[in-house]
Amino acid sequence: MKINIKDYLFRLAHLLFIGLIVVQFLPDQSGGDSYSNYLIGFAVAAEILTLALTAFISKKESRNLFLDIVGFIYAFLILWTLATSKLNLLNPSLFPPFGKILAQFGTDWQKILINIKSSVGIILQGFLLACAVAVPLGLFLGWAARAGNAATYLSKFFSSIPPIVYIPYGIALLPTFRSVSVFVIFLASFWPVFAGTMSGVLNVDKRIMDSAKVLNVSKPELLFQVILPASLPQIFLGCNQGLSVSFILLTSAEMIGARDGMGYYVKYYSDFGDYTRTITGLLVIGIVVIGVTFLFNLFQKRLLKWR
Amino acid sequence: MSTNKIEIKNLTVQYAEKNKQFTALHDVNFNVSQGEFVSIVGASGCGKSTLLSVLEGIYQNFQGEILIDGHPLEGTGKERGVVFQHYSLFPWMTTRKNIAFGIKQVRKNLSKTERLKIADEFLEKVGLGDFGNKYPSQLSGGMQQRAAIARALAMDTDILLMDEPFSAIDPKNRVILQELLLKLWEGTGDTPETRKTVVFVTHDIDEAILLSDRIVVLTSHPGTVSEIVAVPFARPRNRSELVQTLEYNKFRNKLLSLFYDDITNKIGGEEVVL
Repeated sequence: MKINIKDYLFRLAHLLFIGLIVVQFLPDQSGGDSYSNYLIGFAVAAEILTLALTAFISKKESRNLFLDIVGFIYAFLILWTLATSKLNLLNPSLFPPFGKILAQFGTDWQKILINIKSSVGIILQGFLLACAVAVPLGLFLGWAARAGNAATYLSKFFSSIPPIVYIPYGIALLPTFRSVSVFVIFLASFWPVFAGTMSGVLNVDKRIMDSAKVLNVSKPELLFQVILPASLPQIFLGCNQGLSVSFILLTSAEMIGARDGMGYYVKYYSDFGDYTRTITGLLVIGIVVIGVTFLFNLFQKRLLKWR
Repeated sequence: MSTNKIEIKNLTVQYAEKNKQFTALHDVNFNVSQGEFVSIVGASGCGKSTLLSVLEGIYQNFQGEILIDGHPLEGTGKERGVVFQHYSLFPWMTTRKNIAFGIKQVRKNLSKTERLKIADEFLEKVGLGDFGNKYPSQLSGGMQQRAAIARALAMDTDILLMDEPFSAIDPKNRVILQELLLKLWEGTGDTPETRKTVVFVTHDIDEAILLSDRIVVLTSHPGTVSEIVAVPFARPRNRSELVQTLEYNKFRNKLLSLFYDDITNKIGGEEVVL
């Protein structure tokens, strides 16, 4: 394979990287420390990683996409740097220089990690519990068509209640904030997963059911080897929905009554006017959600690779 | 004297559609002998697929009597293997798993390795030896039908029911598949006693002639047997030699006229769209 140097090195993303570094050395207008060495360190690390990764991405379209994304990030950081420390256009307490956020991350990472662990732990517990109950239940009710039809309407009613309003009742029912969160996330992800499973089971292609019938498959085999895999795409649709609702719900719940978790971190520091930490928290939540969704999608792709 | 494998007596199927009775099949009578290859031909809507789904055991709301080996038909059965036009295979199983799954349904005593071994043998027979670990979606339509045939044969059922298995395949591959099926079926035994009994639904006259011992022609509205024609060509048959003979073309024209007469009678001699 011929490697075209121009394709790898002379790219807008790399020019923006150089621009970002140069901008850091302009004189500061704002008073405080602009933490530019943190930003420079971060940018250099990102650039090295980018160069290394692009060497491994063989498809031209994917490489372009990756570099475009990196380019956008650099461009955003250039604008951020200019607007904050270099030109002092924005209120520095609301818009800290980006280096300061990185520095904050450096000092707080242990605290942040504990909060991530708490949040992700609750999500996984509630979500997995919901899947473990909703998938078998949906499977059986969808299979018993008459009960299933009634259940569809009931689930429409219950799923229309925004799960967040269960929180006060959950607090009355359960002893700890953690158990309340798990309970609410269970409810929030139960309905989409259940509805997805039901619609998957009820909509299995008639031709596939006919194929199974003429093979004389036994009832358990029909359920677990035919109906379940045939419904899997719809089940995953419900799971994805449940997972994204779970994150929204948990972070909101954490802002109400928690003692740890990512939502708590953001709320707690914004109450003190510590917007550096607030923004740090926001970015971390974004990264965590993307990370969890990414892993879940990998799992889904593996199970649905036959499509 | 050949024995009757399948007997169809006074078969009538009526659908109720929006309070209107619709007769799909009316008083259909014919028998299929052990080891015989019978095709059912007819224009779209003549009820030929309904007839097959009755034999498959999927459509159970019929009047009349169906006997298999002298016993009344009750639902689906392990003595009948089926190849559909679409989705005979489960999309989430690789081709060899699909076949092994089919074998498992008829031969519970085999171990998983034994089943997979048989699956591989039959994949080899239909020319898919290298495609055992592919999913159906990774195969062409023709390859999917090859795998479906491999499964039906690997299940080693007495009777094969095939519902327009090649209708969705492009003409060139259709011919290849017909010849493959012919070869495989003729290979299931040297005498009718050992051969598989096949009921094959198609709207392709040439396909029916090449493959069948007898052809049942259905007319539509209501679907009923207009004629049963024995195919006068000796086996083993060779397509390219067969189609050049005068007898073939004469026979083909005779069948076509049966086909067209039905349609022209029904729509009053106007232009015919098949």
